[in-house]
Amino acid sequence: MTRRVETVAVVGRDAALWLAAAAVQRSLGAAGVRVVAVELPSWLNAVDCYSTLPSLASMHRLLGIDEAKMLEAASGVPVAAQRFSNWSKGAAPFFLAYDDEPPPSGDLPFSQYWLKGHKEGLRVGLEDFSLGCACAKLGRVPVATGDGGELSASYGYSLDASIYAEALKQLASKRGIVSSSGKIADVTLKGDCIRSIELDDGTRIEADLFIDASGAERVLMMKMPGAKFERWKDQFGCDRIITASAAPLKSLPAFSQISAFRGGWVGLYPLRDRTAVVAVYASDVVSDHSMPGELPLLARMAVSGEAVVAEIKPGMLERPWIGNCVAVGDAAIALEPVDAAQLHVAQGCISHLIAVFPATADEMPEASAYNKSMRSFAGNIRDFALAHYVLNRRFDELFWDKAREAEVPATLRQKLDLFAARGTVAIGDDETFSDQNWTLLMLGAGVEPDGYDPRIDLLPDEPQIEKVQQRLRAVSQLARQMPSVDQFVGRTEQLQAAGVV
Amino acid sequence: MSNQPFRVVILGGGTAGWMAATALASMLPRQRYSVTLVESEAIGIVGVGEATLPQMKNFNDLLAIDEAEMMRSTRATFKLGIDFVDWGFVGSSYVHPFGIHGPGATGLAFHQRWLRTVSAGRDWSIEDFSFAVAAARANRFEFPRDGTAINSTYSYAYHFDASLYAAYLRGVAEARGVTRVEGKVRDVEQDEMSGEIRALLLESGVRVDGEFFVDCSGFRSLLLSGKLGVEWDDWSRWLPCDRALPVPTERCGELTPYTRVTAMKAGWRWRIPLQHRTGNGYVFSSRFIDEEKAREELLASLDEPLLAEPRLLKFEAGRRVRSWERNCVALGLSSGFLEPLESTSIYLVQIAIMHLVELFPTGKIDPRLVAEFNRRMDLEYDRIRDFLILHYHLNSRDDSELWRYCRGMDVPQSLEQKIELFRHSGYIEDYRHGLFNAPSWLSVFLGQGLTPEHHHPLADAVPVARLENELDRLRTEIEDRVDEMPKHATFLARYAEAHEATEAALHKAEARL
Repeated sequence: MTRRVETVAVVGRDAALWLAAAAVQRSLGAAGVRVVAVELPSWLNAVDCYSTLPSLASMHRLLGIDEAKMLEAASGVPVAAQRFSNWSKGAAPFFLAYDDEPPPSGDLPFSQYWLKGHKEGLRVGLEDFSLGCACAKLGRVPVATGDGGELSASYGYSLDASIYAEALKQLASKRGIVSSSGKIADVTLKGDCIRSIELDDGTRIEADLFIDASGAERVLMMKMPGAKFERWKDQFGCDRIITASAAPLKSLPAFSQISAFRGGWVGLYPLRDRTAVVAVYASDVVSDHSMPGELPLLARMAVSGEAVVAEIKPGMLERPWIGNCVAVGDAAIALEPVDAAQLHVAQGCISHLIAVFPATADEMPEASAYNKSMRSFAGNIRDFALAHYVLNRRFDELFWDKAREAEVPATLRQKLDLFAARGTVAIGDDETFSDQNWTLLMLGAGVEPDGYDPRIDLLPDEPQIEKVQQRLRAVSQLARQMPSVDQFVGRTEQLQAAGVV
Repeated sequence: MSNQPFRVVILGGGTAGWMAATALASMLPRQRYSVTLVESEAIGIVGVGEATLPQMKNFNDLLAIDEAEMMRSTRATFKLGIDFVDWGFVGSSYVHPFGIHGPGATGLAFHQRWLRTVSAGRDWSIEDFSFAVAAARANRFEFPRDGTAINSTYSYAYHFDASLYAAYLRGVAEARGVTRVEGKVRDVEQDEMSGEIRALLLESGVRVDGEFFVDCSGFRSLLLSGKLGVEWDDWSRWLPCDRALPVPTERCGELTPYTRVTAMKAGWRWRIPLQHRTGNGYVFSSRFIDEEKAREELLASLDEPLLAEPRLLKFEAGRRVRSWERNCVALGLSSGFLEPLESTSIYLVQIAIMHLVELFPTGKIDPRLVAEFNRRMDLEYDRIRDFLILHYHLNSRDDSELWRYCRGMDVPQSLEQKIELFRHSGYIEDYRHGLFNAPSWLSVFLGQGLTPEHHHPLADAVPVARLENELDRLRTEIEDRVDEMPKHATFLARYAEAHEATEAALHKAEARL
């Protein structure tokens, strides 16, 4: 007689731990699955910030989290786009927004019309045809209006990491998830399955399924037979992250700022009560010793308090599910935060785990499905991050020259080649970023496609010009109707009251 | 690009050739491209398959082809799926429908909820919850509705006479500016430096120059294989059938809105109802039966009187490792062959045309576009191959050597993993591109006799009595709704039946052949 999975132990820390515990309980609690959480000491510092993709909203819906309340509690700010500057010397900064453009039915993607116009002298960039980018430029939030027709865009968040993780913890506890905290003292295996774990206070926890959400520690996974972390060292030259805080911005922009410098990039993430400042860099270009002093110069902002330096190792577990142990989040797939995908990775792992949740406790062939999907899921996000580096045009800087010349995976090569030839993107399975995201990224980085889809010339020039102009007007009009970030977070009144504006 | 039009030359006027000609003439701007098709009346056409997939409708719609007119011209009938008889075991029958099972709810797959009720003791078939299956089995047809109602959960395809389809498209293509050149190819001129094809030299002495060539020359693969030497990838170890004996019989009494494919001792037999006749044929493996015996088995199994003698076709399962080489793309049989078990031949032509148009050269051949086209076609072929192998591999027939061989053969690892996951908990991987998504895999897995050992734990989140009620209601709704549909033959007669006189004349003409 086979047994169902009755108990799931989630071992980890910070947002990934509580998202995993709450989501599994929410989805499978009614099916008789009991979730226990083991909280390891947090790795978050007061200066940390989670910067997220729009997909987090769907996780919040699943968990019954009220967006406005969560944002308010976590000093959160909506992010319509990320603004990239200095990745190509001499080129203008560009925006990466999150438009929800439906696939054109029976028509070509709009970017193809733009591309033809561009080839014939159209001066306006593609980002002015993107609602998300237009909002970002105007400091506005692309909320759902219902009257945008086909135009709509989503936004991510910047959140104070510690507050957000704490709020998730409280939510989990409110939902009846029992948790203990401490460190893992021992892991007892039988074959390639975990029988039990022991905490440093002697508590022993048994479960049918273990979820490792411990981040780079991979506290359970590295005990599993055959576990191997595949590091993407040759592709990602940055091995450090430094985090600090600066004063809040007077008027909140609708974007995060990601600027390249000689040894990596520096990011500014506006929050309500402060600005998170992050730099990701290569320690062989900028020393850990000098980085704290350089940070304010790179950020062009005075940094308050201590900056915190940590090591980063982009890569993934070859098999994020072995036996009865599944890694989620950074433990499974570790990326640098250039595209704000950290919590999206956690969410992707958790959703997929629920989709292939083991049917029995004794045998889990579902692992192979999880491992396969996670590899392509991770590969696609990695490719997007890597594209920033590969396409850089910072010539005569050792770090950037090397990045440009790095060997790229076949999956990324295919996207870069097709775009360079035709200005189109073929989206495959398990993709996080849409063809609009890829298009904005590659155009922004300065790729000039050699040609466009020949079918575009089926339509005479005049209706094409009209189509392009009409869209430009519609985007600009709709963006202007959107609330400003300050309005969105309800800050205008407070600022007015304080006499700031 | 210069003012000189870019000359596209299609070699071969079968189904693939005229589909390509029509599509290229319709979808490429005329001021820039000219399309010429070279064919010889002396060369017969294979007329790949007479059954299609729902994508065919999209293709016709895209090319602004009038459906009723096309159906009349090709003596077409509607198709809601394929009835597989004797496949998993002798006596079994399942329909692979063009539609989903269940009401199309979001979240947990419908079949998981069904599995839960089955494990709780309910004895009902997944087919009871497919609108397309119910309509097919009742020989009824009408167009699917829009929206979310139960009669929106299916799509449809056609059975047609492929040679009439090619002839019909020829008319459309010529009206849209395609030039047809009659003649047999004597030689092919290649550029010495680049190896690109420059011209077709015909026996008549006519020379047809071009910048780009589309090889639709059928099994001979005159350009891609014959001239450019692209190698063959042999798949016969998984798909051992290598012969077919097609034979037409009279129109069947009850016009079924589905294809029937019946497993035989050394292969399988198709039955495709058309307006004016029934298409039949035996696809078999010469390793397991000789031609004479196969002919006997076929003739003994036919339902209607013969209209002509069976004629033998030889083939091999596999494909050219690249469909696009230099300035030449092969479509259809010249690029590969997969037996018509799931009506994929015309689909493969269609999807190759769609990818080709998107990546069509605007001048000098761009190797990046060639690589992208070949990458996409690899994916298409591999996924169809795995799906076809599944039908053979997953059987419990013990009455003949072919079926024992197929059960025991090593299958591609990608397929083995799929089977293993379904066996355990009914999990079916879905993908964005490629033919045959989860509902297709589901019907074949279950139909071939593989029932999952467990269901997804999410199906335990609601009480089983509630699931049973939902399913009961759904089944009744489907039954009631199907009862109100017109018979396939009635619907067809109203919508697209060829004129009776034409039909009778044609019928007589064919009978004389």
